[in-house]
Amino acid sequence: MGEHGHGHLDTEGSGDYTPGYYEILERSLADLLVEKGRIGANEIRREIEVLDSRNPALGARLVARAWSDADFKKRLLANGRKACEELSITSYEDTELIVLENTETVHNLVVCTLCSCYPRAVLGLPPDWYKLKPYRARAVKEPRTLLKEFGTIIPDDIAIHVSDATAQVRYLVLPRRPAGTEHFTEEGLATLVTRDSMIGVVQLGSVRSPAESIDERR
Amino acid sequence: MSAGNHDAADWLPNDLGGVATAPFERVEHPMLPWEKRCHALADVLDFHKIISTEEKRRGVEALGEATINKLSYYERWVVGFAHLLFAKGIITPEELALKMSEVQARFSVPET
Repeated sequence: MGEHGHGHLDTEGSGDYTPGYYEILERSLADLLVEKGRIGANEIRREIEVLDSRNPALGARLVARAWSDADFKKRLLANGRKACEELSITSYEDTELIVLENTETVHNLVVCTLCSCYPRAVLGLPPDWYKLKPYRARAVKEPRTLLKEFGTIIPDDIAIHVSDATAQVRYLVLPRRPAGTEHFTEEGLATLVTRDSMIGVVQLGSVRSPAESIDERR
Repeated sequence: MSAGNHDAADWLPNDLGGVATAPFERVEHPMLPWEKRCHALADVLDFHKIISTEEKRRGVEALGEATINKLSYYERWVVGFAHLLFAKGIITPEELALKMSEVQARFSVPET
C-alpha cells in the first residue's frame, strides 16, 4: 500500500511527468467541480495552505501551556476546542477536541478503528501507520503489546485507556511532563513535545538522562 | 471499546477493531502533491456540504474489501468521490471519461 508509481514531484507543464490513473482522476474531478461552479477555482490551493499550516507544533504549544498553567490545563481538559481558541488555534468545522491526560495511573492511546480520524487541527495529517490496518485493529485489542512495538513499555499497574476517534470527536493525549524540566520556559517545554507522544504511542523521557528515556516513573 | 474475536467476513471492510492483521510496521511517507490536493479536495467538498467526512468513509467502504485492499489510501478516496458524485447526479460517468482524456492529453509528451 502507498507505493503505486506516483513517486514523482509535481512537475505539470515540464513535459516529462506522467501522472498515474488516480492522479488524473483527482485532477479531473476537481476541474469538473470548478467548471460546474460547485467549488471555487482557488479553494483547493487555499485549503492546501491551511493543511500546510497545521503541524504538531500547535499541539505542543497546547501541552506546554497546560504544563505551565494549571488553570489553562483545567480549561483544556474541560473543552479542548475552546482552549485552542485561547491560543488562536482554530478548529475544523463541527469537530470536537477531547484532551486526555496521562497520569501516574493512566496512559492514553488514540486510534481511529474505522478510518483515520485524527486531531489534525493541532497535529496536521496523520502518519501512514495510523491509517493502516494493523494499528487500527490492534490498538483496541492488545494496546500494551502494540505499544511495546513502538518501544513503549507500560507497566502492568498503569491502565491503558484507548479512545476511538470519529469524524466529530477527535482526541489528543496530554503527555506527562518530563522530569528535570522544572525550570523550563513554556517555549522550552514545547520543544520537548513530540507528535507521537500526543497520539499516545510514546512517552516523553526525562530531560536529564535521555538514556533512560522511557522510564520516568518514581 | 474493546472488541472480541470476530470473523472479519461478517464485518464491514472498515470496521477493523480486533481483527487479525498483518504485522505492525511503523511506516510513514511524505505526502505526494496529488495526495495533498486530494485531501484538500475532500475538505472543500465537506465545507460545501457536497460530501461529508462520514459519507466519504462510507463511500470508501462501499468499494468492497477487494478494491480497498488493492488501492492506496488516497486512491480509495478519489474512487469513492467519483462514485458519490455520480450517485448524487453532480457528475456523470460520460463527463468524467471525457475530462480524464483531456487531462491525460495535457501531460502527453510529443514524440521527437
